[in-house]
Amino acid sequence: MRELLMILRKEFIHIWRDRITLLLVLALPIVLVLFFGFTISTEIKNAKISVLDLSNDSKSKILLNKIAASNYFQIVSYPNSESEIDFDFKNKNIKLAIIIPSNFENKLEVEKKATIQVISDVSDINVASVLNSYFRVIINDFLNENYVTNSEAATFEVITQMLYNPEMKSVYMFVPGIIALIMIIVTALMTSITLAREKETGSMRMLLITPVKKVYIIIGKIIPYMLLSFICTLLIIIISVWVFNMPVEGNLAFLLFLCFVFMLTSASFGMIISALVRTQLDAMMVTMMGLFLPTVLLSGFLFPLDNMPQLFQALAHFFPAKWFIIAIKDVMIKGSGFMEIWKYLLILFIMACILITISLIRIDKKE
Amino acid sequence: MKAIEIENLNKIYNNRVQALSDVSFYVSEGEVFGLVGPDGGGKSTIFNILATLLLPTSGQASVLSRDVVNDAKIIRQLIGYLPGVFSLYPDLTVEENLIFFATMYKSRIKDNLPLIRPIWKQLVPFKDRRAGKLSGGMKQKLALCCALIHKPALLLLDEPTTGVDPVSRAEFWDILTNIQKQGITVLVSTPYMDEATRCDRIALIQEGKIIKIDTPTNIMEAYRGFLYTIKVENVFSVMEKLKEFDFPCNYYPYGQELHIAFYEAPEIVLQKFCSFLREQNIKFEELSPIQPTIEDCFIELVKLK
Amino acid sequence: MYSIVVENLIKKYNHFVAVDNISFKVKRGEIFGFLGANGAGKTTTIKMLCGLLQPTSGNATVAGYDLKKDYKSIKKNIGYMSQRFSLYEDLTLYENMQLFGTVYGIPRKILKERIYESLDSLQMTEKANSLVYSIPLGWKQKLAFATAMLHHPQIVFLDEPTSGVDPIVRREFWNMLYETANKGVTIFVTTHYMDEAEYCEKISMMSDGQLKLIGTPSELKSKMNVDSIAELFQKIVNR
Repeated sequence: MRELLMILRKEFIHIWRDRITLLLVLALPIVLVLFFGFTISTEIKNAKISVLDLSNDSKSKILLNKIAASNYFQIVSYPNSESEIDFDFKNKNIKLAIIIPSNFENKLEVEKKATIQVISDVSDINVASVLNSYFRVIINDFLNENYVTNSEAATFEVITQMLYNPEMKSVYMFVPGIIALIMIIVTALMTSITLAREKETGSMRMLLITPVKKVYIIIGKIIPYMLLSFICTLLIIIISVWVFNMPVEGNLAFLLFLCFVFMLTSASFGMIISALVRTQLDAMMVTMMGLFLPTVLLSGFLFPLDNMPQLFQALAHFFPAKWFIIAIKDVMIKGSGFMEIWKYLLILFIMACILITISLIRIDKKE
Repeated sequence: MKAIEIENLNKIYNNRVQALSDVSFYVSEGEVFGLVGPDGGGKSTIFNILATLLLPTSGQASVLSRDVVNDAKIIRQLIGYLPGVFSLYPDLTVEENLIFFATMYKSRIKDNLPLIRPIWKQLVPFKDRRAGKLSGGMKQKLALCCALIHKPALLLLDEPTTGVDPVSRAEFWDILTNIQKQGITVLVSTPYMDEATRCDRIALIQEGKIIKIDTPTNIMEAYRGFLYTIKVENVFSVMEKLKEFDFPCNYYPYGQELHIAFYEAPEIVLQKFCSFLREQNIKFEELSPIQPTIEDCFIELVKLK
Repeated sequence: MYSIVVENLIKKYNHFVAVDNISFKVKRGEIFGFLGANGAGKTTTIKMLCGLLQPTSGNATVAGYDLKKDYKSIKKNIGYMSQRFSLYEDLTLYENMQLFGTVYGIPRKILKERIYESLDSLQMTEKANSLVYSIPLGWKQKLAFATAMLHHPQIVFLDEPTSGVDPIVRREFWNMLYETANKGVTIFVTTHYMDEAEYCEKISMMSDGQLKLIGTPSELKSKMNVDSIAELFQKIVNR
């Protein structure tokens, strides 16, 4: 046991004396969260639209005011005919055109049914669908405010995607992804690089030649970086709650437990990578290509998995990030507990067990 | 009892490179045994196999009567190993490194302090310095301390003096003599032929083969040539002219002198040689016999093959 | 005629004096052995003479160029070979020579001729297209030396060129050095082999940043009353 404590102490000295790396590791989550939070965002503000108001009555005015008052749209023109709408799309770079039918008020109040025509520029499908959703929200608000009792007049239904994120705030989507990325970088990358460094400089041979247990060497490598990664995770959660009002619906302790399991899986990936390579550079390349990139591309964090070819969807099963992101989203946003996500925990745990076992066998393998 | 026994050891890397071919030797307990030969000769491979870090392709090797393949765990507790390259933690201080390796062997510094005291005393002024910032000689002393801290019965030193200046090298060998007095067997390798004389016995090794095993004195006495030194004015031009001298001989420049080895009865050849020099109009002084070094013996042995 | 003239050269790092006011001259075509313990200031001096490091004070001319004003011309007129890095292992012999020759601005046609010339004299022409990785260490060092000579420098700096090389190749290597020096190229060499120090025409010994001794090996031996350079070294460094 004294040996394990000594290995841990040595590892912490490595971390502490390499100030630049330590600073980078701690700054990375902060920078990433702030960067994603403020810049890369699927929220669209002040999209240009045209409105062809054929009724021009009091209710249509209310609706238009509501649209103009929202942050999402900016009415740039009031064309007089449908052909002018076409012109706007081509020349005024509008994303959306709305045609309010004639006798709007009358239709709503007497016929209980009015049809508003929405024409979208679908050249960017994501933008179009987001704008459509915004518009539906505004219409619903409008109906609710003006015809509380006449709910049957609702022309649109609230769609299910927006159940947990009614304003489609993107911060909720990327925080789990960033937590996954940071944990991969800190645990998998750092573990594999530092292990490969010990191989490169020969100190691993010195360690192996001592009677110390192999398990100690591995645990001694994993724990410090898991701890570091844990600090990073806490930083991410604090910033996202504090700056971006990210909800943490589930139990915080359970959330951290989930992170812990994922860290173990990441670290075991780092171990196995360092067992396969000889140099630090190789360790870095393999971790980046083999683990970091799939985490970005195949975890459903930036690119929805449902839209991918079958092959990629199947491939995604083998990377821990996919399971972790599903689980952490459920815990953070839906407030799920152990009963709902035990399956994902189990998958992550089994991955870790298999990889650590292989590493233990590989670490002392002789040529 | 034998501290090391190796029989017909072969090592082939990747089914291609034959690093060792049929190497056999033994090291008696309490001996300082030297593996002497150039880089790439297979010295490090032997060390790796004895340290149980590498498996032999064929042949037997045992360390302190235990088999290197089957009893690796026991062997590791009994040996101290100093690899050819500096392998401690450069970002840990001198003292931290020593404590770390002591703990790995489940021993404490104070238990074996008498053994390492002479070396440790020199390191104490630097004990808070990071190991990576030590000079070459100091690094080796620290590595030696770490390898000795659990009082091993056998010390494996792979090129401990390579790249170290002559004074530190001489000092390092004094330390080894001291370690030997404590009853520890030492297997040491070196590319510096002049260090061979500090060993009890040496094995000359080249290209994975052992070409000679004996005491340094015996090896030097077995030198078959006759070695002379001759002082001339322009060594290089003399060497050019010597190409025409048709008796078997070997010569090489030695500063302002020329060393020349004859392989036949020297009286006759010497006469021929002197008359050759006169014919060629080469001025010389001091044509006198000299003692061969281990290096001369090594060259002779390699050329005779 | 002197190739290297060093006058009162000093290099300080903060308060640490790495090179402490050294002065010496090296004749053209001389084999000059530059000896000293690890950390005595040898590497710092070589770096300054090669134009890689500016001295704190003092001056030197190398190959006739001023160290402070003309270090770019110095680089063109010297060759350098170190034991640590010499050639790219994953390039062929020819590619290595081509690379370094081109770096020194040798025109393509002339370069090709010179490469085959020097491979011929090394008896390595057959191996021109083998990877450096596949040839023995001794060959590599000889090849590295030939590569450092491709641009016909006036001076070559050799930093422990024969470390770990087998004795036969070591002697062949020194024969190459003698041959080169005989053509008028100055050879500035450091080594930890004391017998190699005896091979030099002139040697100097550094200790603690200072130049303690300079002279021919036999001169120094009789002056200090010792039998070998190894003993001399012991005496100087231990003082």
